Amino acid sequence: MQQLPELEVIGSALQDNVRRLFKGSLAIRQIDTGSDNATEQELAALTNAYYDIERFGIHFVPSPRHADMLLVTGPVTRNMAEALKRAYDATPHPKLVVAVGDDAIDGGIYKGSYAVLDGVSQVIPVDYQIAGDPPSPLVIMQSLLAILDGAKKAPKQKGQS
Amino acid sequence: MMSALASPTMLIAAMALFGIGGVGAVLLRKSDRLANYWSSAFALFGSVTALVFAVSMLASGQTFVAQTTSDSFPLLSFALNIDRLAAFFLVTISIVTFFCSLYGIGYIKQYYGRYNIGYLGFLYNLFIVAMLLVVTSSNGIFFLIVWEIMSLASYFLVAYDRHDPENVKAGFLYLVMTHIGTAFILLAFILLYVHTGSFDFTVIQAAMPTVPAHIKDSVFLLALIGFGVKAGIIPLHIWLPAAHPAAPSHVSAIMSGVMIKTGIYMMIRLFLDVLQPAPLWWGIVVLVIAVASCVLGVLYALTEHDIKRLLAYHSIENIGIILLGVGSALVFSALGMSGLAVLALTAALFHTLNHAIFKSLLFLSAGSVIHATGTRNMEKYGGLIKLMPATGLFFLVGSIAISALPPLNGFFSEWLTFQALFQGIAQTDFYIKWLFIGVTAALALTSGLAVACFVKAFGVTFLARPRSQRAEKAHEASAVMIAGMAGLAVLCVAVGVGSSWIIAQLQTIAQGVLSAGDHATLVTVTSGHILSIAEGFATVSAPLLSLLLIAVPLVVWTITRFGINRSQRVTTGRTWDGGTDLTSRMEITSTGFARSIILIFRGLLKPSLQHSVEYEDAASRLIPRSRSVTLSVQDVYRRYLYRPVFIGFIHLSHWIKNGIQNGNINAYILYILVVLLVMLGLVGVW
Repeated sequence: MQQLPELEVIGSALQDNVRRLFKGSLAIRQIDTGSDNATEQELAALTNAYYDIERFGIHFVPSPRHADMLLVTGPVTRNMAEALKRAYDATPHPKLVVAVGDDAIDGGIYKGSYAVLDGVSQVIPVDYQIAGDPPSPLVIMQSLLAILDGAKKAPKQKGQS
Repeated sequence: MMSALASPTMLIAAMALFGIGGVGAVLLRKSDRLANYWSSAFALFGSVTALVFAVSMLASGQTFVAQTTSDSFPLLSFALNIDRLAAFFLVTISIVTFFCSLYGIGYIKQYYGRYNIGYLGFLYNLFIVAMLLVVTSSNGIFFLIVWEIMSLASYFLVAYDRHDPENVKAGFLYLVMTHIGTAFILLAFILLYVHTGSFDFTVIQAAMPTVPAHIKDSVFLLALIGFGVKAGIIPLHIWLPAAHPAAPSHVSAIMSGVMIKTGIYMMIRLFLDVLQPAPLWWGIVVLVIAVASCVLGVLYALTEHDIKRLLAYHSIENIGIILLGVGSALVFSALGMSGLAVLALTAALFHTLNHAIFKSLLFLSAGSVIHATGTRNMEKYGGLIKLMPATGLFFLVGSIAISALPPLNGFFSEWLTFQALFQGIAQTDFYIKWLFIGVTAALALTSGLAVACFVKAFGVTFLARPRSQRAEKAHEASAVMIAGMAGLAVLCVAVGVGSSWIIAQLQTIAQGVLSAGDHATLVTVTSGHILSIAEGFATVSAPLLSLLLIAVPLVVWTITRFGINRSQRVTTGRTWDGGTDLTSRMEITSTGFARSIILIFRGLLKPSLQHSVEYEDAASRLIPRSRSVTLSVQDVYRRYLYRPVFIGFIHLSHWIKNGIQNGNINAYILYILVVLLVMLGLVGVW
């Protein structure tokens, strides 16, 4: 029997988690808060023909209203802070916030600049971080798997994440 | 007790109260406040007295006839004849005038210091008295006098806000049109006088069998045009959308709610009562006019963005719906189906009452909006429901009623009209059947478009965000204005829920008009207030319907809230706008909403769409500075009907001036000679 490549292994594990937690469909809204586009390229690669993350039930949606998870990139420029807050508020509960890339975690190479607020956690509460500048698609998938492995099913009362 | 209330003294008392109100307002004109309170208070008392009188007349079922004659004017007699039909119109008028007077106390305040309030109070009271007399008079000459007083008083009220030249122009148009109408009415009465020897309606009616058919037909056509001008049937309606917006709002409410109904009253009185029996084609003519009025009326309403003009066009539409009932009654009675005629007339009368209530409500709430924002242009409104919630609620009630949605009153009268038309389809033979099928389809189209139009009117005015600075600073109407509107809104609901009882009462009135006995009873009210047409052909129960409409949403809400969505939490947040800020420029405008419907009916409406672009660089035309689109509907009636007639008259005048009145004294002497010879010849012959 042919051994599955690493991507397929991570993918099917992700799919199991997505099925368990989100009834088979995890909707992600990606927010660029002034990133240098490196992380965006890696995230875009997730949906290309090679990685094709949608076959595992994970897809990117055009509105935070539809999202279960926010993937936030960039060090949060001053102009984007308000927009990030509004997008966070517009995402229905329960929601997961993941800061992707070093600059999203603490400002990264832009840390200390007058133009940025040094990381997403300065503006909205962050649940998970994916390090790397930028993290490769496979790292992002592995991290998502780790996040979902750790995440419990949303409690079935008037709670929030 | 009942006989005391139903005695003519009550009517005289009501007239006297209006008189005191009017004259007192003139005497108190130095003080705006006193004149306002005085005239409005007496108008209120007068309305209540007239209402009590008319209701007790209806309840006791008696008829009041009074006549005063003098030897010096043998043709003129102050003849009053208050039968059930007249009493019904008295009720309608006094209900509307009561609430409009109440509203007026607050509304008139904006004219303080700008115009003479005493003069307004005088005209207002005179106007109401004249309307009350119009529906009670039974002598042609007396009728024409009060009709003219009503027209003139309303003309001065239309032109009251005279600093705006538009209003003066509208008043002039109204004056000309209403006098064209009066001329036709006068001709009709003179024709009747020539052939019956009397102006008295009862004498005319008694002498009707001796009148030749072509004279009756001429009288019908003359009266149809004459009263049609007042009622606002298309194409005689052109004064209506101009005059109603010009008048103060409580006066527009009365004009649109009841004054145009006096035209309907006289049509019912003449065609269904005095001139009976009528040939079949009268009914067909009325039906065709009614269809034109209701379909075109609602289409023109859709194109409007002036809120009062929109409402005025809806008056034309509703006059059309009332005339559908009147026309069907004429057709049925010509075919000898007295039961169906009663049903159709009942529908017409009920819609008359309902339209009076909800249209005056709509005009009053539109008046509050105009008062608060200072403009009639709906494009400059928006978001008013947050600033003026009471007015918004009342406008919504009026909109639901006029859109004929259950359980409000408009639904039941339109339902009844539909039933009359369905019976027409079911029980007549080939040609008339197809006529009724067409008419029913037209009414269905009208109802649908009316809903679309009021979705637009309410949505553009009250929902979304303010589109002008004045709209942002709008304020709620004063307490008396709210009280006036609230009364009418409650009536809309009450008349709707109690419709089966009211329809039963109106049926006896219709039977009285058509001299049909009790056997002509198609509408029966069974136990539990279930209204049944033609022994179960169609049934509706107003209380049950209202109950269901309240209960079903409540049950559904309870189940979803506490059953299905038990574990979910409702949060109220900002509207997601994709990161931009929402502005009022993103809203759909009144023109934008109506555009698709206008384009569907472009064959009828003949809209003109104009794009104009201004460029930063005129030579290469690459970067536009501003773009604008103008969508307008041209007035086809003025262009193709009134303007040719007008030009014809100018040519005729030129011809007379150049040909006959040529300034040549010899020619004039010749004219005198010719006339003298002709007169001598005539005397010689006789």
